[in-house]
Amino acid sequence: MAQTGLYGFFRETMQQIMNRMTGQIEEYGRAYEAAHGEKLYEHLICRIKSEESAREKLCRLGQTADTWHALRSITDTIGIRIVCLFIDDVYENVRQIKSIPGCSVVREKDYIHNAKPNGYRSYHMILEVEADEPDVDGNTPGHYYVEIQLRTIAMDTWAALEHEIKYKKSIENQELIIQELRRCANELAACDVSMQTLKRIIREGE
Amino acid sequence: MKILFAEDETDLREVVTAYLEYQGYHVKAVSNGREAVENAASDAYDTLVLDVMMPEMDGVTAIRKIRETGNTTPAIFLTAKAEVADRVEGLDAGADDYLTKPFSMEELSARLRALGRRKREYKVRVMCFGNLELDTEASEIRALNTIGLAHREVRLLSCLLANTDREMTAEDLLKEVWNNEPADAETVWMYVSFLKAKLQSVQANVTIEGDRNHSFRLKEF
Repeated sequence: MAQTGLYGFFRETMQQIMNRMTGQIEEYGRAYEAAHGEKLYEHLICRIKSEESAREKLCRLGQTADTWHALRSITDTIGIRIVCLFIDDVYENVRQIKSIPGCSVVREKDYIHNAKPNGYRSYHMILEVEADEPDVDGNTPGHYYVEIQLRTIAMDTWAALEHEIKYKKSIENQELIIQELRRCANELAACDVSMQTLKRIIREGE
Repeated sequence: MKILFAEDETDLREVVTAYLEYQGYHVKAVSNGREAVENAASDAYDTLVLDVMMPEMDGVTAIRKIRETGNTTPAIFLTAKAEVADRVEGLDAGADDYLTKPFSMEELSARLRALGRRKREYKVRVMCFGNLELDTEASEIRALNTIGLAHREVRLLSCLLANTDREMTAEDLLKEVWNNEPADAETVWMYVSFLKAKLQSVQANVTIEGDRNHSFRLKEF
């Protein structure tokens, strides 16, 4: 059993939990598609946070870079992102996730209805997921954090660009770019809302 | 206040110009419609005063050409007493007010002041209601969030914001917001729906009350 690295012995369990969670999301996705004839999300991605960026985060938080802190102070070591076509789909996914057995919501933030000042929009959920395997506190069943981010394709595109400037050391016209990025966020949000409204109107007419 | 004044009768042009300058206005005086169009295009004015009967180009044609360029400067035109058709034509061509000849200087002055007041109202940049702010220049609404509005949505919302004390029918809104462009009650309903969703999205404590084919009004809740 691999015991090296920041996640040590627990890495394997984290991987299993991530696979299980995505499997459950895919499962309700299939059921929804069978019942409604359309996909509830466009795509789904997941990752285990790289040890390098986990160490950086712990350093930023002023905490020891050990296995316990990595699994207890950082809540997004297991991360899943669900990208949807429409805003309503985001909320339907949130509803479905809440009914997955063995996981409870620790914290959720609706940055779609309360956009961050820079224009960032997404729905964030931090879940505590129960696993048959033990956790870093020695409990069996163990408890692990999973962060799920849900957003529309437009929000995803925006976040990709924002991510790029966030990690660039120096950008020319930074003020202007940030300001224009904020304007784009507001325009994309406008489009998302209008498309959702049109979809509802089309459905009403059926 | 800068005024563009077009009048072909030399005496009248000079008297009015002198009077307005005495009143503190900056006046650019020209003698026909063509010069008025050229000057309106090359310089910014606060008000246009145009005679109807002029050589080369009459005042009605001039105001129509000026409006075609997207220029919305308030315009007042001068017409002879009997010419009802001219007055109708001039107002329809885009003038905001008219004065029949002969007119008193005091009345011209008062109408210029009135148009000036109205112009300031047109220029209101941010309109508020409840926790909602409409920024007409940035084409955005703000409450707990910010979201962009389409040009038509800005006009529809400013119209509703200017009439929070009464019900606006689809016909009222078509007249105010769509002018004479092809649109019907369904178009109004669609744009009302867009706005309602956007108001909700920024978490405004304001919504548009009213149903398809009925009348609409902004309400705080």
